Amino acid sequence: MRLEAKIEVDAVVIGGGIAGLQTALDLAEQDYLVVVVEKDASVGGKMIRLSKVFPTLDCASCITTPKMAAAAHHENISILTYGDLKSLDRSSDGRLEAVVEKKPRFVDEAKCIGCRQCEYDCPILVADENQGGFSARKAIHIPFSNAIPQVATLDVDHCILCGRCEKVCPTQAVDYFQQPQTIRIHAAAAVIATGFQMTSLHDKPQYGSGEITNVIDALQMERLLAPHGPYNRVLRPSDGMEPDSIAFVQCAGSRDRSMGVPYCSRVCCMYAIKQAMLLSGALPLADITIYYMDIRAFGKNYEQFFQNAQAMGIQFVKAKVASLAAAENGAVEVCYEDQVNGGVTRTSHDLVVLSLGKIAAWNPFGTCPVEVAEDGFIRSVSPRLAATLTSMEGVFAAGAAAGPKDIVDAIAEAGAAAMKAASYLSACHRPKQARSGVSINVKPQPSRAVAMG
Amino acid sequence: MREVQIDSAQQAQAEEKRVGVYICHCGGNISDHVDVEALCARAGQAPGVAVARTHMFMCSDPGQEMIIKDLQEGKVNRVVVASCAPSLHESTFRGTLQRAGFNPYLYEHANIREQVSWVHHGRPATEKATALVAAAAAKAARLEPLEPIRMDVIRHATVIGAGVAGLQAALDLASRGIPVALIEKSPFLGGHVAKLDNIAPSNEKASELLTRLTRQVLDQPAITVHTCTRVVGFAGCVGNFTLRIKVDGEQGQDEGKKLHSMPTKTPRRGVFLPQYGVVTGSCPENPAEDSIETGAVILATGFKPYQPMFGEYGYGRHPQVVTLPEAIQALAGENGSHPVWHWHGRPIRNLAIIHCVGSRQIPGVHEAAEGAALNEYCSRTCCSASLGFANQVRENYPVTRVFEFYRDIRTYGRGQEELYQRASKNRVLFFRFEAQEPPRIESNGTGSESPLQITVKDTLTFGEEVQVAADLVVLAVGMKPNGIDDLVEMMKLPVGSDGFLLEVHPKLRPVELPNSGLLLAGTCQAPMDIGEATNAASAAAVKASGLLARGFVELDPFVAEVNLEQCTGTGACVVACPRDGALQLAEVAVNGKPFKKAQVSPAFCLGCGACVAVCPTNAINIKGWTLKQYEAMVDAIVADLAA
Amino acid sequence: MSSASLKKLEIKTGLKQLRELRKETITAATTRMKEQKQIIKAIKNQLQQPTTVPAIAEAAGIPPHMVLWYVAALKKYGEVKEVDKDGCYFRYCSIEAS
Repeated sequence: MRLEAKIEVDAVVIGGGIAGLQTALDLAEQDYLVVVVEKDASVGGKMIRLSKVFPTLDCASCITTPKMAAAAHHENISILTYGDLKSLDRSSDGRLEAVVEKKPRFVDEAKCIGCRQCEYDCPILVADENQGGFSARKAIHIPFSNAIPQVATLDVDHCILCGRCEKVCPTQAVDYFQQPQTIRIHAAAAVIATGFQMTSLHDKPQYGSGEITNVIDALQMERLLAPHGPYNRVLRPSDGMEPDSIAFVQCAGSRDRSMGVPYCSRVCCMYAIKQAMLLSGALPLADITIYYMDIRAFGKNYEQFFQNAQAMGIQFVKAKVASLAAAENGAVEVCYEDQVNGGVTRTSHDLVVLSLGKIAAWNPFGTCPVEVAEDGFIRSVSPRLAATLTSMEGVFAAGAAAGPKDIVDAIAEAGAAAMKAASYLSACHRPKQARSGVSINVKPQPSRAVAMG
Repeated sequence: MREVQIDSAQQAQAEEKRVGVYICHCGGNISDHVDVEALCARAGQAPGVAVARTHMFMCSDPGQEMIIKDLQEGKVNRVVVASCAPSLHESTFRGTLQRAGFNPYLYEHANIREQVSWVHHGRPATEKATALVAAAAAKAARLEPLEPIRMDVIRHATVIGAGVAGLQAALDLASRGIPVALIEKSPFLGGHVAKLDNIAPSNEKASELLTRLTRQVLDQPAITVHTCTRVVGFAGCVGNFTLRIKVDGEQGQDEGKKLHSMPTKTPRRGVFLPQYGVVTGSCPENPAEDSIETGAVILATGFKPYQPMFGEYGYGRHPQVVTLPEAIQALAGENGSHPVWHWHGRPIRNLAIIHCVGSRQIPGVHEAAEGAALNEYCSRTCCSASLGFANQVRENYPVTRVFEFYRDIRTYGRGQEELYQRASKNRVLFFRFEAQEPPRIESNGTGSESPLQITVKDTLTFGEEVQVAADLVVLAVGMKPNGIDDLVEMMKLPVGSDGFLLEVHPKLRPVELPNSGLLLAGTCQAPMDIGEATNAASAAAVKASGLLARGFVELDPFVAEVNLEQCTGTGACVVACPRDGALQLAEVAVNGKPFKKAQVSPAFCLGCGACVAVCPTNAINIKGWTLKQYEAMVDAIVADLAA
Repeated sequence: MSSASLKKLEIKTGLKQLRELRKETITAATTRMKEQKQIIKAIKNQLQQPTTVPAIAEAAGIPPHMVLWYVAALKKYGEVKEVDKDGCYFRYCSIEAS
């Protein structure tokens, strides 16, 4: 039997990344009730998985966790993790309805205390997607150390039902029979903050289609650089060697019609420069090269950051890399046309990082009638004066869901989306729901934290 | 006269102080340089410390839960977290105490990241961290519960500057039912957008966009528009500001901006005048002053285009070298009926555009104007504006050739890369130069057809030296922050090294200033395009709206407090106090007898401690930072726990 | 039958059904687990002494990228630690052995 629950709120935010959380916080501060729907087991989005952020070199975890915690503890915000958005549309009463299928974690969220006993005892190793696949997690696991909520999730695709996790759990939280739950969220306004994903390594045969072990993508490099990364240091994945020579290939999937991504992904220049700087800190003797078409350091203090990188000795080579090939001893051969000296040039590097393009993470087709633009991102109907307005009344977009964006621009846009949603809500003159009506049958998460509050 | 009773027998605090010290690894940021376990062991030995623990991320939920558990189980009743800078997480951990049912001010923060692990390494790092933690623990043992100062706010906001950002912020606030004063020093609404024609990349007409936006503003009864007005005085604090405004009248305006010299004799309210903006009505003839009581202020003071120096790319030396805004203005007036674009009657067969003029300047390569700093930043908008302009020329005047000289093409935004592709399709020719070897502009001699010649080392063709004849050279000038020194001085606004107003956090809080209640919208913070400026404006509006909707603000209680028993009424503190209205001597009846005693107005007190230093009887202290607490911290540092 | 034992029986039957339902993934995961156990055993044998990833790979006949993956996993779950640096490589050893 499928469980059903209903939630009445003022606004629903789709996506619990940095843009979604900021929108939720700004709306909650206007005293509106908000529910955040997140598809992953933890909120935090791409940002919580980064190492440090440009141009301040703040540790990403350190500045994302407060936002995650602030949203999780806000009395006006409920967070629904591990939920698939099945539909978002206007219902017959004129309000919006979001239908979310809460996937079973096979762990009772109210009972789990996040002790990770189950994870230690589980016998199955699975590639850890939160560590770029470079390390392992268990079939039952907590996504990462600062995940919110701190609740274990059992991955049934890798579970052998051996029963160890159930036995070892001190609070009897493991429930092998958990069913998906359908949650109907009624709201006057919605904000789409579904973010981006990277183009696939596999779509690029000239760059090895993901088959060359020492060709990795930028998000994987973020994990290698993160202080709590898979190896706790930068090693190349083929054999654990500390790389001596590292190259970044820019526009590996952006500004590239053959990849279906003709636009600029807007953040790759800056993150490559940032990663190069962090690498030269971690590996002071390594040679670091960035192959680029144009360096787009356009944000506040970005150009100065780029100039500093040049002063640090990072090599910038203006070239569109033609191809990559596996060479001897795990090296990668980069083939490009040298625009300064002329001619096709081949250079070997120990590790190559691809700055892949950003594409929309969510395609609303069949789920929500909101329009997308040619680039696949949510279309803005007023890009100059109110960029967050979509083709649907009462539905707004923020962050990378509305086009590639860096963190600061996503944060600003999240505030703008909250403003537009708040204006819309005040024009609606809807009576506010009683507090007790926030959740029926659904525990706001993280349940312990809310209970404390 | 105030009547107070002083009970000289101080109530002995029965409660035993049990300090919990929580040390953060910061995922390696701290523990890579500080021996966190050794630090924890030493902290456990410090006087008054009941519990010392470590965690990978103290700020994470499990980290905070650990503190809550210890508090609720009665193990500790004072908390020290040793982690990053307090600006990042002090409020996080105060919140943790609150959630555990404790007073949030029973918390002390030790910064062992910015002040230790990021700047020291090895044993000295652990030693310094030990000293800081010991000091924090010693202070924590002397912390007492405090209550924040709660103040009502005036449900009214003020926006300074009526460009697109200011207009949008005002509209957003008004839509939430908040009355807004919109202050603009010129007689017009619309700021720099009024000088634009087609807006890249969507080709929307600036006139239509501004007419639409200003109509909403002028029709909105909650917005009071003050044109020809400047802010001349500023006082108060968050929620309760007083702005003195001065209406300049016609005399105060620049010659070119006087309404009566406008092409239309009697400009109507809401009418767009190209280059100027939207008319709001006639400007008052005579100056006048007024004041506004307001709860929050949004700064939307905008930018000004970079003014090239004499001789920079031939500017001022050759009349055929102009700036992009000048060229846009000239092009807007044309009808495109001729296959060659004409500039003041002269055919332009070859048009050159030079990028990054007054932007991306490099110390040692570029020279700043006298008394000015280099503009090291990218102005963000000029690439798209130049390409939009180039396309417009090529598509309307097919015989006019366009050459662009650039360093990097930065068409980052939605629809902008398409502009670049369209320019290539329109056969705009691109030359790429290094900052060290910029294009040289010279006179072409009398005999030749084009008056100017540009020489550049083109890195797109292996550094070949190329010469291009040009009839007109357009300099894509960058953005400079508008001159608002008076506001900066008056409102104590922080300014970055680039001259733009400095936000609290460049990543997470881009529209907030550290001065509570003051917010940033648009290009006064950094260069941005119209869509980005209105997004920033709406983001600033939502912060102001949140602040005003609550109806009150809570301020930290770290203000001066007078011990009436010790105060002898010397008045030294009143003299030393830098803030008007924060401290005064008042008649107080103590146990029936009248005395002069110092009296603090908490809302105005800055908590600077100037009064503490001058009091001859140690009768005045800053709450949460008392002399006793400082002494305990110094003692703990001197005791040297690491030894 | 007491209600507690009845519940136990219910769970037992339920698990049986669940095992039948997920037969395919369970079989695949079981095979993987067995392989993993063998590889971990082989790697741990080498980790009695501090050694590098390429050395383990050669001695155990396992591709080096796979060895690295297992070493990272074992390190995460507290079974292996990094010891020191040997040229461009790091040496690891089992925590029990040290």
